[in-house]
Amino acid sequence: MSFLLNKKTYNSRLIIGSGKYKSFKQTKKALDASGAEIITVAIKRTNLGQETTQENLLDYINPNDYKILPNTAGCYSAKDAIRVSLLARELLGDSLLKLEVLADKDTLLPNENETFVAAKELVKLGFSIMVYTTDNIKLAKDLEEVGCISVMPLASPIGTGQGIVKPENIKKIIKNAKVPIIIDAGIGTASDATIAMEMGCDGVLLNSAIAMSDNPILMAEAMKYAVISGRKAFEAKRMGISDSAIPSSNKKDAIS
Amino acid sequence: MNVILNGKEFLLDKKISLNNFLITHNINTNNIVVEINGSIITKSLWDEYVLKENDKIEIVTAVGGG
Repeated sequence: MSFLLNKKTYNSRLIIGSGKYKSFKQTKKALDASGAEIITVAIKRTNLGQETTQENLLDYINPNDYKILPNTAGCYSAKDAIRVSLLARELLGDSLLKLEVLADKDTLLPNENETFVAAKELVKLGFSIMVYTTDNIKLAKDLEEVGCISVMPLASPIGTGQGIVKPENIKKIIKNAKVPIIIDAGIGTASDATIAMEMGCDGVLLNSAIAMSDNPILMAEAMKYAVISGRKAFEAKRMGISDSAIPSSNKKDAIS
Repeated sequence: MNVILNGKEFLLDKKISLNNFLITHNINTNNIVVEINGSIITKSLWDEYVLKENDKIEIVTAVGGG
């Protein structure tokens, strides 16, 4: 069940985001219920005028206990993403980074060109890049070839909860890949995560599906099992699909 | 002398180190990174960095995000 990412073994294949929770306390509870060992954070300006006693997300989620994965959320150009990456590395003392360069505020879809330019540059600067991208099959391979350690295509747009809209593309991306493929964005509920894992994704990264549910702690737990289930089913290799019915019991011992 | 901190103007009446500036403005110095005019100022240099006219200071931290 475990998987290798950036030369480190993780027991959980679920990565969760830390956005949109009601409080840091709830974020921590959901994180623990999910069993995730990696949690993403955004890098933003601090609130000015805050008291020195004001809590910080990192006071709740101890970088010694979890792998903190900073992302470049809110960046729309390679230049901005590189700047945020350098700040993240200084803050967390680590080169592992989720690169996210968006095209526009309406669709929140990845900007393919700027993502590629930033990925190339950041690899040169020594970063270990997990890159958020579209389900563009060619681009996914190109990002791997410039040195990204993981390619993370979207299931559907950020925050939509639509699940995997183009499963055929994701399957081809997985088939071509030599690095872990992690589904990032668009997962709506537990079955979406299971489907992604059954397809052969190495992991799932999600945020809103937990944070925006009515009961984030319960949904976090559901996601934990969804990812485990999907992975086990993938490893077990499912039965074939038949056009006609096949009885489950042996015919020859039938009573009549 | 004016400096710009996270997009807001601040008036300084005397020369002040970055470290003292952060302390006097009640900024929690744990888990932050400081960038001035586009360059990161490592924590060990906060004491020796003296703010200059029109310095553009950005203070960032980790916040919730996917």
